[in-house]
Amino acid sequence: MKTNLKKVFALIFAAMFVFCFAACGEKKVPVIGISQYGEHESLDNCREGFLQGLKDAGLVEGTDYTIDYQNAGFDDNITKQIAESFSANNVALMCGIATPSATACYAAAENKDIPVIFTAITDPVQAKLDTGNVTGTSDKLAVEGQLELIRALQPEAKTIGILYTTSEPNSVSAIAEYEEKAPAYGFTIEAVGVTAQSEVVQACDTLLARGVDCMSNLTDNNVVGVLPAILEKTNAKSIPVYGSEIEQVKKGCVASIGIDYYELGRQTGQMAAKVLKGEATCEEMPYETISEYGLYVNYTALTEMGLTLPEELAGRAIDANA
Amino acid sequence: MLNVILETCAGTLTQGLIYAILSYGIFITYKILDFPDLTVDGSFPLGAAVTAVLLTHGVNAWLTLPIALVIGALAGLCTGLIHVRAKVRDLLAGIITMTALYSINLQIAGSNLMVERAIDTIYTSAPVMALLGSVPLLYRKLIVSLVLVLLIGLVLEWYFSTKNGLLLRAVGDNDTLVTTLAVDKGRMKILGLVIANALVALSGCIVCQEGRSFSATMGTGQMVFGLAAVIIGTTLFRRMSFVKGTAAVVIGSILYKACIQIAILLGLPGNMLKFITAALFLVILITGNLSGRKGGADRAGA
Repeated sequence: MKTNLKKVFALIFAAMFVFCFAACGEKKVPVIGISQYGEHESLDNCREGFLQGLKDAGLVEGTDYTIDYQNAGFDDNITKQIAESFSANNVALMCGIATPSATACYAAAENKDIPVIFTAITDPVQAKLDTGNVTGTSDKLAVEGQLELIRALQPEAKTIGILYTTSEPNSVSAIAEYEEKAPAYGFTIEAVGVTAQSEVVQACDTLLARGVDCMSNLTDNNVVGVLPAILEKTNAKSIPVYGSEIEQVKKGCVASIGIDYYELGRQTGQMAAKVLKGEATCEEMPYETISEYGLYVNYTALTEMGLTLPEELAGRAIDANA
Repeated sequence: MLNVILETCAGTLTQGLIYAILSYGIFITYKILDFPDLTVDGSFPLGAAVTAVLLTHGVNAWLTLPIALVIGALAGLCTGLIHVRAKVRDLLAGIITMTALYSINLQIAGSNLMVERAIDTIYTSAPVMALLGSVPLLYRKLIVSLVLVLLIGLVLEWYFSTKNGLLLRAVGDNDTLVTTLAVDKGRMKILGLVIANALVALSGCIVCQEGRSFSATMGTGQMVFGLAAVIIGTTLFRRMSFVKGTAAVVIGSILYKACIQIAILLGLPGNMLKFITAALFLVILITGNLSGRKGGADRAGA
């Protein structure tokens, strides 16, 4: 028994040692640790944009940097362990994609004061990632632009329904902004909160039963995750759904004033390149928001809903499925 | 090079240790009381929420530990009262408290909270800095966590050997004995739940200080983690009577976190992480079971 026990321990720790060796065989090239909260189109786009941003800045993968990409599968506790392993491996820079990953990276970076770059965080001030050796890009929603868009497409509409997760700070602050700004455009907001993804479809039924003229999405991971189910219900009732970024429009939302996460990631990658090259530190660079919001349209969905894009918007609209 | 290995191990050990306090709690409910206590998924973030709020309001980091203990105890008391006095089934009693706690946690913390670097946690507090100021933060975290886990473990082992502790153990094993001793077994069950959830919340408190954050979803799956840690630990040490239950649980918890660490180090696609972790558990448990069988007659499974 004793020997077998020893074997188990030896096995586990030997495995850890071997992988440590493997992980840090080539130590000369600075490593960028990317911690992504989970697999999700928007977040994947962020990461791909980030990698492109590094290349745009003239850095070459393999000679100037290598990437250690980790994905936490939407598990908050794993984000911590990923960040700890980045710190142990002495990465030159950590990139946290989405709030839980960024927060975990920043906490683990405290050990050695490793610079942290984040992206896809709506409110870095609220997340307390606005000061210190940390910076990045925010994916704050263009609430006013979205309200303007809905007004232009549905001149008669009165209520906008929104589904959101009560525990997502990003969503809570977005709802507050919607409620504050909606009256100026003649809208009232009907918001229904959920605590888990499994409740979203039920909440959608509640919202539709209350009678809304359209629905608008946030960048709420739980809600966006079951978007097809929501669209099935709204399509049956001919209620248009407005997205908050291009991926949602591709899936069948009618239109969106939103963020191109690839662009956001690219902007982030360029910031990271500055840190790697030593041109600037995270402290010196305030966090950035996306400079331009795009208008994305799904023409098929638009026609199905019987909506037409006013001419003044048609010129700058981008076909999401093109 | 060696440094990287040492630091990876130190980081993994720290994670295993701070979550081991949660496993102590589950050891009491699951192993001793034979009570599947789902309160854990709510009382763990409860401890973290309370801690995050207290720390951001300038409360001393060490003071948050007893406060988290008390708040967690209250959560356990709720489950206990619902089960024993309102006669709700054990699983459901835990589910009720856990569900309510989700909202309560959000109410306490507002939303997900981050504890700024300027705020001292137990790991950067004055007494610790005076003793271990020259030790790098990573190792300081390991030392402080180790001391805390050992202290709590010793207190628990001492408690299990007292008359009251023996009665608690009897409730799970042989509750008629408890009744014949003219002790209210319902009261003992409540006491067990109180102690267990106090420990779980304390673990949440320390995890919050180590990771400098609270998130509403951090409790999801903690019950499963704790169960796995308890079962891995107790299965491996089943035949070694000199290894105390609490020690076995700590090792189970460390092994669990080590498995995740290996899966991370393997650098497989993120979606495979849990699969690799599951496969590693299976290997550990099978090895443990095989060795048990060699030792003689054996009860099946853990």
